Amino acid sequence: MSKKDVEAALARGVDILDKFLPLKSWLIFPVLYSACVWAVRRVFDYRERILAWQVWLDPDFVRTKPDGFILGFFARNDALNLAYADEIARGDLRVLRAAFPALYPVFGLEDAFLKALFKAEIEAADYRAIVVEFAARTARARDEIRPAAADPDFWKALQLIGMEAASLGLHLLRDEAIQDMIVGLIKGPAGLGPSVPPEA
Amino acid sequence: MRYRASRAVALLLAVALSAACLTSLGRAKRYYAEGQDHARALETELAVVSWKRALDEAGRACRRRPSTQSFTVKGLTEANLGRWPEAGASFLQAFALGFGEGEAWASDAALTGLAASFEDRGLEAAALRIYAQIIDRSDFKPALMLAAERRTNLILARAAGVDPGERGRTLAALLKTLDRLVDRDFACGLYHYLHAQVDGHLGDLRRSYEEAVMARELGLPSEKIGRDNDNQLVYCYTRLLDSLSPADRGPLAAAQARWAAKWGWRDDRTPAWKKE
Repeated sequence: MSKKDVEAALARGVDILDKFLPLKSWLIFPVLYSACVWAVRRVFDYRERILAWQVWLDPDFVRTKPDGFILGFFARNDALNLAYADEIARGDLRVLRAAFPALYPVFGLEDAFLKALFKAEIEAADYRAIVVEFAARTARARDEIRPAAADPDFWKALQLIGMEAASLGLHLLRDEAIQDMIVGLIKGPAGLGPSVPPEA
Repeated sequence: MRYRASRAVALLLAVALSAACLTSLGRAKRYYAEGQDHARALETELAVVSWKRALDEAGRACRRRPSTQSFTVKGLTEANLGRWPEAGASFLQAFALGFGEGEAWASDAALTGLAASFEDRGLEAAALRIYAQIIDRSDFKPALMLAAERRTNLILARAAGVDPGERGRTLAALLKTLDRLVDRDFACGLYHYLHAQVDGHLGDLRRSYEEAVMARELGLPSEKIGRDNDNQLVYCYTRLLDSLSPADRGPLAAAQARWAAKWGWRDDRTPAWKKE
């Protein structure tokens, strides 16, 4: 495997997706990254997976979790444990329960699409920004992906991109390296990273 | 002569269109059956792909020549894909075209779709009544599973806002319903998953752990539920270990280590899908 080959394949992916999604769309990063993740895992119902994130956003069971489970989720995740140390120490379930529906799909269920959608905030360890932004950004992503999702060629292109990257040995690279590669290929707003919608 | 020729063309067209329609319906049935086979083998992803194909073909058949069969296959496929409002509409269309006797399953599917749409519009009490009715009397598994899942989530959400005594009684009644479902179909992983959720709410961590293990072994209908079940299992296991004396921890830790090895987990608390 050559890292350059993978990078070239991802660059072609960015060019292709540019034709389906709005120019230099902030959606290219999460869509391309999740296509790569699923291709590497040899999951070929990529279309279902990408559309499935819409379901993941509103899982009914998230709002019914007991207090102990929510506390355990925050306590067991090192980064969240640090960010919400005060609330965990106080047992402030009002704040933790409000943050849970946004943070659990990202860190608890590890949805690749959502992780890419909030890459900038995760890297900055700004977890409270994910909670604030979650509803608006995911709603916007849902709206903007809709026209492309209706085009069968979009899904064919996405499958080919993912399969090509996987065949070149993408699985040998760390997730972070793949993400950095895609970020480098997309000319997103400087300093914000391409996963952030322009007005966010 | 020209009249005879145009009649022949019309006849040929009718035969060709009819054959095409039959082919679409036939393909829809074949893809639907393939999806069922995959689902039984716990190959959820392949099942979804087959059902999507079945839906495309059934939709084509419904457009070309609407029939009870084409709308039924379309509704069944939509139900399997969780598209309940569309499934309800398809089953109602099938009803309008007329069913024979012994097809109560179609009515159950339509009712469940109706309840789901009530719930989406905030009519939770009405939805709960229909779900309860489906759970009590339906034998149509997709409708039964959806009704069980939706009813459990609705009751858990409502129970959060009531006093502890009332909450305890509500959850105990819910548990009895889930016990009945487990008795009826012990091999359904979803019922064990729902049981584990309610056990967790009632603080019965050992039972919740056992039910989550069974749910994982039997298979769950979607990856999101599977991952949530893994999280529930690890949560209960960790809490149980903390609550036991060092002497009592050994058997539980050994059992969990065996399960973790069987499932390919990285260790007793880290499922394979978790990022390192």
